[in-house]
Amino acid sequence: MDIGATKKQILNEDGIQRAIARIAHEIVEQNAGVADLVLVGIHRRGVPLAGRILAAVAEIEGVRVPMGVLDITYYRDDLSTISGNVLPVIRETAVRFPIDDKIVVLVDDVLYTGRTIRAALDALMDIGRPKKIQLAALVDRGHRELPIQADFVGRVLPTSCRETVSVCLREIDNRDEVVLSIET
Amino acid sequence: MWLIKKAHVVDPAQGIDGICDVLFDEFILAVGQDLNGEDFLDSSHRLSVIEADGKYLFPGLIDVHAHLREPGREDKEDITSGAKAAVRGGFTTVLAMANTQPVIDNRGLVEYVMSRGEQAQGARVLPVAAVTMDLKGDALVNMAELHKAGAVAFSDDGRGVQRAQTMLLALQYAQLTGCPLISHCEDESLAKGGCMRRGFRSARLGLTGIPAAAESVMAARDILLAQENGGKLHLAHLSTAAAVAALRWGKQQGIDVTGEVNPHHLIFSDDDIGLTQTCLKVNPPLPSAEDRGVLLTALVDGTIDMLATDHAPHTWEEKARPFPEAPFGINGFETALAAVWMSLVEPGKLSVSQLVRAWSLNPARRFGLAGGSLHVDKPADIVLFDPKHTETIGQDVWLSKSTNTPYWDKEMHGFPTAVWVGGSLRDAALRDAAVRDAAIQDAAIQDAAIQQTGRERPSC
Amino acid sequence: MDVNTESWQHKDLLGIAQLSPWDIARIFETAVSMKEILNRPIKKLPTLRGKSVAMLFYEASTRTRVSFETAVKTLGADVGSFSVSTSSVNKGESLLDTAKTLDAMKFDLIVIRHTSSGASEFLAQNLRAGVINAGDGQHEHPTQALLDAFTLCEKFGVLGTKHLQEPAYPDRLLTGRKIVIVGDILHSRVARSNALCLQRLGAQVTFVGPPTLLPPEMACWNVGISHDLDAGLDGADAVMALRLQLERQKSGLFPSVREYAELYGLTLDRLRRSGREPLLLHPGPMNRGVEVDSELADSLYSVIEEQVTNGLAVRMALIYLMSAPL
Repeated sequence: MDIGATKKQILNEDGIQRAIARIAHEIVEQNAGVADLVLVGIHRRGVPLAGRILAAVAEIEGVRVPMGVLDITYYRDDLSTISGNVLPVIRETAVRFPIDDKIVVLVDDVLYTGRTIRAALDALMDIGRPKKIQLAALVDRGHRELPIQADFVGRVLPTSCRETVSVCLREIDNRDEVVLSIET
Repeated sequence: MWLIKKAHVVDPAQGIDGICDVLFDEFILAVGQDLNGEDFLDSSHRLSVIEADGKYLFPGLIDVHAHLREPGREDKEDITSGAKAAVRGGFTTVLAMANTQPVIDNRGLVEYVMSRGEQAQGARVLPVAAVTMDLKGDALVNMAELHKAGAVAFSDDGRGVQRAQTMLLALQYAQLTGCPLISHCEDESLAKGGCMRRGFRSARLGLTGIPAAAESVMAARDILLAQENGGKLHLAHLSTAAAVAALRWGKQQGIDVTGEVNPHHLIFSDDDIGLTQTCLKVNPPLPSAEDRGVLLTALVDGTIDMLATDHAPHTWEEKARPFPEAPFGINGFETALAAVWMSLVEPGKLSVSQLVRAWSLNPARRFGLAGGSLHVDKPADIVLFDPKHTETIGQDVWLSKSTNTPYWDKEMHGFPTAVWVGGSLRDAALRDAAVRDAAIQDAAIQDAAIQQTGRERPSC
Repeated sequence: MDVNTESWQHKDLLGIAQLSPWDIARIFETAVSMKEILNRPIKKLPTLRGKSVAMLFYEASTRTRVSFETAVKTLGADVGSFSVSTSSVNKGESLLDTAKTLDAMKFDLIVIRHTSSGASEFLAQNLRAGVINAGDGQHEHPTQALLDAFTLCEKFGVLGTKHLQEPAYPDRLLTGRKIVIVGDILHSRVARSNALCLQRLGAQVTFVGPPTLLPPEMACWNVGISHDLDAGLDGADAVMALRLQLERQKSGLFPSVREYAELYGLTLDRLRRSGREPLLLHPGPMNRGVEVDSELADSLYSVIEEQVTNGLAVRMALIYLMSAPL
């Protein structure tokens, strides 16, 4: 454990798995099936999450819906304030199917200010014209700065701004857990 | 009258290289141990005695290659600023090249340069007249007339005389005057469009190269032409090993040929050039490191007879251009001696005696000039030199109108602290406090004498 | 350091000489994502909204200029263009003053092409804005070299994440590859920048040309040197033909275009004989029938058109990276 920070586990491996299963059920239920449904994961941890949701949906419906990945860096509203020393690495954007008139479910790990989702919405609009865009997030920690809300949430977690929510996923971090830490 | 005591006097003409005293008024009166100035004093002079421990004293330096830009480009330099900058750098005589606008190719302009030089109260300024009218490489100037008017040499410097036949005739005809002909040694068909020495560095930087042969073929040609018909040939600003080899061969053959080298060609090489360092863009271009070594060896062994600055002032605006578009030239008067001192004398590559021989005695002998030694009865052209005096090169110590030097903002040491031309102390070069105090006292006493007698103070 | 970020330390891009293999990989990685954007129906990003880039071209060039302008516009920035024929550069204004004027207009980046080697470095030393060298005299043309190397890496299949990021050995991206550059090497900034760039990525470079256009001092690049095209081509993975300035013939650098084409012109037959079916690159514009035979230019060996698309992507990547304040 880091010195100077206290940590608290919010979700363990099972908790994450249950949250994903519930999100998958809700997506299928709310959209009355998977017709016209596509998933788009936002880099980085939205991508493995979208993959897991896709697998869960496939288990329910027996259909593997199309899935794309999105890097929102070019659409960030804070690029001009980022110095060259810490310029984010651009990752792949691959939506290799038309999204026109589809229902796009955006997937991200933590919903916080809403600015990432705003950028993702703009990016999607440049790729096509979906019928509907929905949002799935593993954790909603509040403190929105834009009028954006999630359609599917794994866990609503009231936090203070001094706290940090870290989502760890096996595919990237070699373990599954959600941790809340606070600077002391 | 001045008595400089216990300076390290260096005068290769008399074989002097040690601590002694020097006494002079307009002329050298005595050089020796424990001189007593009173013995020489008459009623019209006052004696100023300067203790000069730790300083050198040598005959004034003579720069046989300088561009004073007047008439025509007084924005870069004029004869007054040039003569003052020269004396500040330790030069008591400079030869002004003819490539002004208009070119010094007629008697009126030769006389103009002479008279402007006299007014300047700096170094003595002696004109070099052009070889051909308007530097066109065609019709010869009236050499006899221009020599009579004061020209001490002939040169189309800035351009080589491209046609061999013209050069042959010029070498022949100049014999009427006894003056050397200074060859710029540059074959334009080879040098054209280039801006630095051709080699690895030019290839790397993508700058058009000037092959070494651009200099050496013309140096060799002119030596062969001098062999053919006689005449005094002097090769300007040598920068290549092959031209030095040609010079060595020429001397072995008994041809009347001499050569000069510029400090920057001994200190820098093409490896020092970067794309924005236009202060190192010079013609002939900086040599390869290998050729630089050959040049130094040749200077030390006497194959190359003399040092010369090739003082070439240019405006800041002209040098503030991309490398290929900037003009050639380094501003040399005020830094050349310190640069040679720091880069060559201090590391032991060149002795003080060799330096004085190459920068004072040999130029005087070759060009038939008055200075160059401390012989009794010679004009008192004298440099008091402090090897420890330090200055940061910048506007507050600078007299030239241009600042195109690689030493700008750099700290240098080894400067003249007092310079006399014909026994007259030059303000432009005065850095020595003791000499300044003596001069002020001298002036005050003279003023008092004038008030007493009511007579005009004699002008110097 | 955060795994998601890497440093980009260059205010200016003056030449390949200043770039490390890691810098080059960073540009390539960004260019991959830019290329994806170029394939979208809406080729426009909001990324650099509010930034402005000046084009200062002292040398005619339609391709490079349009490529840069398109790159700037696609990224959402604004572009201002200044060229010799239309601006005060004809009225005797110095390069420094012209550039200072652009600085005062608050351009964030200035893209310059100039006939003098070192012009871009000269500007960079005097300006607040970042400077991108779009070709300076015979010195460097870094964006051309980057797009050439990018094209080669793409064709050789070494542009994936695993090559660029995780093992992070960009200095070995082109190891074992032999690249031949043929033509007027002496006067070519493309050859110089490519020699640096390709070697930095591990490739082996050979220069081919007549002795007058490939003089001995070009050995300073530590490349192979050959005056025989067929010998030089032996075992090559790619060959890059340089544009021949036909006016060089007047300076006596080669006797005739016919003889040049015969000795150094690339043909389908020549490439087939070389052993490894090399890719053909050309920085354009091409003298068909001189440097490259028409049949070859339109064959499957040629990646000339992809070079153009990649040029756009690479320039977008650079402008993006250089727009971030240091």
